[in-house]
Amino acid sequence: MGKVSKPKLKSKIDFIIRVAGEGGEGVMSCGELFAKAVARTSYHVFTFITYPTEMKGGYAMTQIRIKDITIYSMGSFVDCLVAFNQEAYDKSSPYLKEGGILIYDPEFTVIDDSKNFINYPIPFSKISVDTIGRPLGKNVVVLGILSHLYGLEHPGLEKLINDRYGSKGEKVVAGNIKALKAGASAAKEMGVTTVMDLSKSEAAAEDYMFISGNQAVALGAIAAGCRFSAGYPLTPSTSIFETLSKYLPLVGGKTIQMEDEIAAISAIIGASFGGEKVITPTSGPGLQLMAEQMSLASMLELPIVIVDVQRGGPSTGLPTKTEQGDMKFAVYGSAGESPRIILAPTGVEDTFYQTIRAFNLAEKYQMPVILLTDQSIGYRKATVKMPNFAKIFMVDKYDRKTKVKIPNAEHIDLVQRQIPTEEELLDYKRYKDTKTGISPVARPGTPEGQYLATGLEHDEYGKTNQEPDNHLKMSKKRFRKLDEVSKAFEKNPIETYGDPNVRIGIMGWGSTEGAIREARYLAELEGVKIRHIHPHTISPLPERQISKFLHRLKHLIIVEENLTGQFAHFIKAKFGVKPIEVHKCEGMPFTADEIYNAIMKVARIADEDNITSS
Amino acid sequence: MKTISQAVNTYKSKSIKPVWCPGCGDFGVLAALDKTFKALEFKPEEIAIISGIGCSGRFSHYFNSYSLHGTHGRALPTATGLKAVRPDLHVITIGGDGDGLSIGGGHIAHAARKNVNLTYIILDNNVYGMTKGQSSPTTPLEYNTNTAPYGVYEEALNPIAMFLSYNIGYIARTTSTDMKSMHSILTEAIQHKGFSLVYIMSPCVTYSVLPYSKLKDIVKPLPENYDNSDKMSAFKYAYSDEHMYTGVFYKEDKSCLEERLQTVFDLAATSKTTSEIMTEFK
Repeated sequence: MGKVSKPKLKSKIDFIIRVAGEGGEGVMSCGELFAKAVARTSYHVFTFITYPTEMKGGYAMTQIRIKDITIYSMGSFVDCLVAFNQEAYDKSSPYLKEGGILIYDPEFTVIDDSKNFINYPIPFSKISVDTIGRPLGKNVVVLGILSHLYGLEHPGLEKLINDRYGSKGEKVVAGNIKALKAGASAAKEMGVTTVMDLSKSEAAAEDYMFISGNQAVALGAIAAGCRFSAGYPLTPSTSIFETLSKYLPLVGGKTIQMEDEIAAISAIIGASFGGEKVITPTSGPGLQLMAEQMSLASMLELPIVIVDVQRGGPSTGLPTKTEQGDMKFAVYGSAGESPRIILAPTGVEDTFYQTIRAFNLAEKYQMPVILLTDQSIGYRKATVKMPNFAKIFMVDKYDRKTKVKIPNAEHIDLVQRQIPTEEELLDYKRYKDTKTGISPVARPGTPEGQYLATGLEHDEYGKTNQEPDNHLKMSKKRFRKLDEVSKAFEKNPIETYGDPNVRIGIMGWGSTEGAIREARYLAELEGVKIRHIHPHTISPLPERQISKFLHRLKHLIIVEENLTGQFAHFIKAKFGVKPIEVHKCEGMPFTADEIYNAIMKVARIADEDNITSS
Repeated sequence: MKTISQAVNTYKSKSIKPVWCPGCGDFGVLAALDKTFKALEFKPEEIAIISGIGCSGRFSHYFNSYSLHGTHGRALPTATGLKAVRPDLHVITIGGDGDGLSIGGGHIAHAARKNVNLTYIILDNNVYGMTKGQSSPTTPLEYNTNTAPYGVYEEALNPIAMFLSYNIGYIARTTSTDMKSMHSILTEAIQHKGFSLVYIMSPCVTYSVLPYSKLKDIVKPLPENYDNSDKMSAFKYAYSDEHMYTGVFYKEDKSCLEERLQTVFDLAATSKTTSEIMTEFK
């Protein structure tokens, strides 16, 4: 999972472009088209999007990073900034590197000449009006400018424009193509120098996709064999349900939009009872509404997968911004004690495999699995290698022994819930108190498999039983499954990176992985070595692995995107450590630089400690 | 695997006996449902009973079927998900006036819009029985309950009129004392294609907001010449102040969720080739 044997510290090509403007101006579509065009070359692409909640207005930006090797984060500073207006310039220019390229519309933006940027004032709004009679084509004019700057060929871009605007009619497509050409020639006339010639790059390999984290969830679910989803629109998770609604019917699956999140999780519980693999995507506010039904699924021991694409909170909070604020709720949000598994993918590609893993765990252990992604992963697009479809293996329904591997590009096990044997059906105990806690589940329609699934405490047959010893026995049975999960997790490959002998360690979870990894590389360039652990399984945690990681450390940094340090609190409670906590609660992801600065600060403290002790 | 060759004698659970108070209307409904399953010759393993919380919630315990006894008010969306993936099952959902009309009331409109092919039985006793005597959405105004000791300050719902306005394709009301009517209505409702709603007045003997004697006085069958395809007339009888009419209020044949999802399949299957789909992720 996202492991590299030797980090490549240096790449030949590493460009970061930011297009900033106002929501509704086409900043997103301009960035997206440009990124898609680059993704069709052999370069890796990584995008980051942030925009306001409202339909129109407010600061919006998309950042595109192009590299010749795997990209782990959005990057800290940009090489090229396109500013659509004054606010975009004011907010984004501090992130433009010394000597970077600044493209702006002089009609709407006054710039500070004293800065050391390569300035290209190009009136894209006016160019749009002159070309197609209205200013709204300016995003495509900018795309034309960028195509000149980065040597993107027009036939490919024209096809992308056709794909995107084709449904709006030929006139719109023709107008956009005109605007594209006008932008490119304006750049030429202005004497804009081509930075790199992407047209000379080889085409991307066939087995690469350019997808968002949300799309990765939907595709992962389909690959895992999920054939039912019930959902309710909730930013920033909605595009998962949209993607499922579009593609599930193509493989014989079904999606139904429900009246609210409670109904959505209820529907997947019903469908799981019916024997299907099921998923519901949501975000924090929806997860809160689902809490009671999550406990029900734990009690009925039904496999369900819930995706929480976290956003800024509390309450309505920051619907389109990122935050790691739901961890505690995901882990502890329950009345009564109900076992569940929490997974945290680290990036787009990982999200695909962790989604498959979520289904495997849910089906095997018959409990809810919550996949905690966030807006930054969900909206981010990245080039992702397609899995090897010849290496997908079905685990038999009667199989109770097979060790299921963590899915990766070269090996995907697909688990289905165990079903009772004929012998077991002679006296069928749906909730049989087994050694592992896992008891075979009959699919409705199976003769003699009829059983009662009740949220009331019940005995092995499913019959209500509220006697003291029965409650203890069945509570233990349900939690024994979680012990089994823990044991299985301990056997996973260790998710630590960096030199095992150093005394500074850094720990994070979820989407911060890439920025931490880059920060570690930056620190290594300065001679500061650190170790990094990034568990994918938040609950249960691989405790022995973490203990081993913590054992020789002198300084532990815990990085997370929230105000109060939810993960740090969790780690402190479990391992009794005193970490240095680094939080960011701004609705924006960490950049590698911010984490690098924290590492260097700790390294200086460590140095001083060494001097004192020697 | 064992197959059941002989006709099923009873669909009731052999090991679980009802916990209802002696004289509870729900016993009658249990018997009527068992009789209906028998008449329809269902296989027990093809019946799924989904219920919520309250005295009505225990229905799922008492049948030898695939049964799910979930949380308060969520039986209907749970059953919707089940039926969406398992059209081959006979899905029966049961709730009370609290579970169905109060906490779960919001779900009825949407199950109706989906026209999911299942039968929803609501048992109305005008009171919360299991939690012991609190006001329900159908407790009459000014009646004294444990949560309204000085009299209920809310108007009672008119459920039949509500169901009519939700465009539910099969709406009937009967009483737990009328075995013949329950049996015929349940048989018709279960066979009805789409969402069917069977509303059964089932008195509580412990908190007798609606005693059998009162029920007997107010109930009146819909007239013989009543046309159950006429919605306006259905509204008129639903809003009657004089009587609580029983019988089939409304019937309409329309496409159900399973058919509509089949249409989605067909449209999806012809919409795109695999290579076209893959370019969408490039």
